[in-house]
Amino acid sequence: MSSATTEATTGTLPNAAEAKGTVVLDGVTKRYGQATAVDGVSLTVQPGEFISLLGPSGCGKTTTLRMIAGFEVPDAGDIRISGRSVQNIPPYRRDVNTVFQAYALFPHMSVAENVAYGLQQRRTPKAQLREQVVEALDLVQMRRFADRKPAQLSGGQQQRVALARALVNRPAVLLLDEPLGALDRQLREEMQLELKLLQSRVGITFVFVTHDQGEALSMSDRIAIMRDGRIEQLADADTIYARPASAYVAAFVGQQNFFRGRVAEGGAAVDSPHALVRGIRSELGEGQQGQAAVRPEFVEIAADVADGRSPADALDAVNSVRGTVIGVAHLGETMQYLVGLGDDQSLIVRRPTPEAPDLAVGDAVVCSWKAASVLLFASDDAASAGGYVAPPTL
Amino acid sequence: MPRFALAIPAWAWLAIFFVAPVAMVVWFSFGYKPGIFGTHANDVLSFDRYLEALSPTFFSTFLNTLWIGLAGTALCLLIGLPVAYWMAVKAPPSRRGLLIALVLVPFWTNFLVRTIGWQVILAPEGWLSTLLQDVGLIGGPLDILYTRSAVLIGVVYNYLPLMILPLFVAFDRVGTPVREASKDLGAGRWRTFLRVTLPLARPGVIAGVLLVFIPLMGDYITATVLGGAKGNMVGQLVASQFQAAQNWALGSAMAVMLILVIMVTVAVGALVVWLVMLPIRSRNRLVLGDAPAAATGGDRASEAARESEEVLS
Repeated sequence: MSSATTEATTGTLPNAAEAKGTVVLDGVTKRYGQATAVDGVSLTVQPGEFISLLGPSGCGKTTTLRMIAGFEVPDAGDIRISGRSVQNIPPYRRDVNTVFQAYALFPHMSVAENVAYGLQQRRTPKAQLREQVVEALDLVQMRRFADRKPAQLSGGQQQRVALARALVNRPAVLLLDEPLGALDRQLREEMQLELKLLQSRVGITFVFVTHDQGEALSMSDRIAIMRDGRIEQLADADTIYARPASAYVAAFVGQQNFFRGRVAEGGAAVDSPHALVRGIRSELGEGQQGQAAVRPEFVEIAADVADGRSPADALDAVNSVRGTVIGVAHLGETMQYLVGLGDDQSLIVRRPTPEAPDLAVGDAVVCSWKAASVLLFASDDAASAGGYVAPPTL
Repeated sequence: MPRFALAIPAWAWLAIFFVAPVAMVVWFSFGYKPGIFGTHANDVLSFDRYLEALSPTFFSTFLNTLWIGLAGTALCLLIGLPVAYWMAVKAPPSRRGLLIALVLVPFWTNFLVRTIGWQVILAPEGWLSTLLQDVGLIGGPLDILYTRSAVLIGVVYNYLPLMILPLFVAFDRVGTPVREASKDLGAGRWRTFLRVTLPLARPGVIAGVLLVFIPLMGDYITATVLGGAKGNMVGQLVASQFQAAQNWALGSAMAVMLILVIMVTVAVGALVVWLVMLPIRSRNRLVLGDAPAAATGGDRASEAARESEEVLS
């Protein structure tokens, strides 16, 4: 079915090592005038893999996707799809399909006609075309709406049609450009699950662009975190969460409390004005500027006991700070406390609701966390990451 | 205050300045010219003025007008489509304001002045004639002024902006995403244009065609300046009956005939386009019908029912 597309392609011979569905970016660069949108990105996506390009707006993720689709031409580097270079191959002859951000359904065609469009371009016989359209609509549970126009559908339904319209062509690679961005939260979470299930069922390579870290973490086999046109880290969700390669990644995925100061104890701690934060020994040099990061969910919190025998002493806690609760928020599964440590420094603490202590604003507290929960980084501009700019207000 | 109250001024305006004058013209057209000094009389009503308007002398002018109207509109569409498409899709967005201005600026010049300008260009001793002779494209001096071709050139020039602007707006509103989606789904440039861009720009095409065709049919300045005796249009006839001949009855009958010709032409044109599009539409059509309650796809009977339904549609 895709043979027509691949046969039509000219250029380099297929690379035998790269099976159908492989996407290889090799030093891909795209410039717009003075600005470099994508800066030498290299990436290999395995067949059937679900990979996410994650980053704030302007990080080059959408441009990267559009270059794979063929809507933008790289200024340097090479892109190979299923082992074949796609340089000079127009979008309509590439074995990829895209689910667009705003769906881009054809408003003058019915749902069925939208889905049939790609098959019609390949002159699929009518009986077979019907069968495949019905199958694709069943896959996204939109069979009932086959004869409606897109304008008569809700956002979630349009999204499913866009998915069916792309999947019906059985492309080697499916590109998704923030396809869930326009949906409300509940629907989005539902669609995340469905999308992941669908992907494992159809076995097509998915390249998914998003700025939503939750979306990327919950669906992807691997995540490429992008920053200023480069890939900052490429790893699975566990690695990115537990061992972020940089303070930027740490701050972008989940939340972090940052303590800045001089590196102490032979590279195993950061001496910030509010606490000496100890972590696992790092390669940082003693005395240089560094930062320690700890996630809100790794911090224990308890009311401070006046006699000085605070509960923190009972823990295996090498890190503990005293502070005052300045905000409490109920987030559903977790309780979030904002603890003031004096000056402008504050600490976010999150505890599972069933075991959350009963604290109120103004209570004196002790917060503690293990050395293993601490990440140590050289001092850089982590604050420019989307995740952490100023202490959040509750 | 009832809701329609706000619409009263508009209705009053239409009634006084549109309905009433047209009704008067229709009324005059059934009368006659009473002697040399009268312009119209309605004490005896007849269709005689219409028969007069359709006599061979005037009928050829009607045919001539229709020919110029159709050819002029077709040429405007043919030239306007690629220009408007280019302006809306291909031209850099920063240049758009300039391009629209370039389309509009000639339009701000007085209609008569820019038509007379063509008299200079098309004259047998004009620079265009000299140039074409020097190049060797024509043997003798350019013999086009005061012919139907000159009128055609004039109306295409005069009415082209009225075609380009609605087309530009329509192409612009189609937007990049659906065109990219079409290419993404395997359609090349032409198929994308024919199946996505053009169908979505249809309101603009209809608006452009009507905006050019209707005023063009009633135009008499272009024909007067460039047409001479060979390039007559109905507008000139009507004007001469009202002014020179002082025969308001015949002039009115001609005006009414012109309105009828325009209406019938538009209706026939719409029908022809619809008929031509019929096979294309049915080829791209895909009606699946209602799914069976349990949408399993294994229900043969309803599958067959849908097949027959498709044959009917």
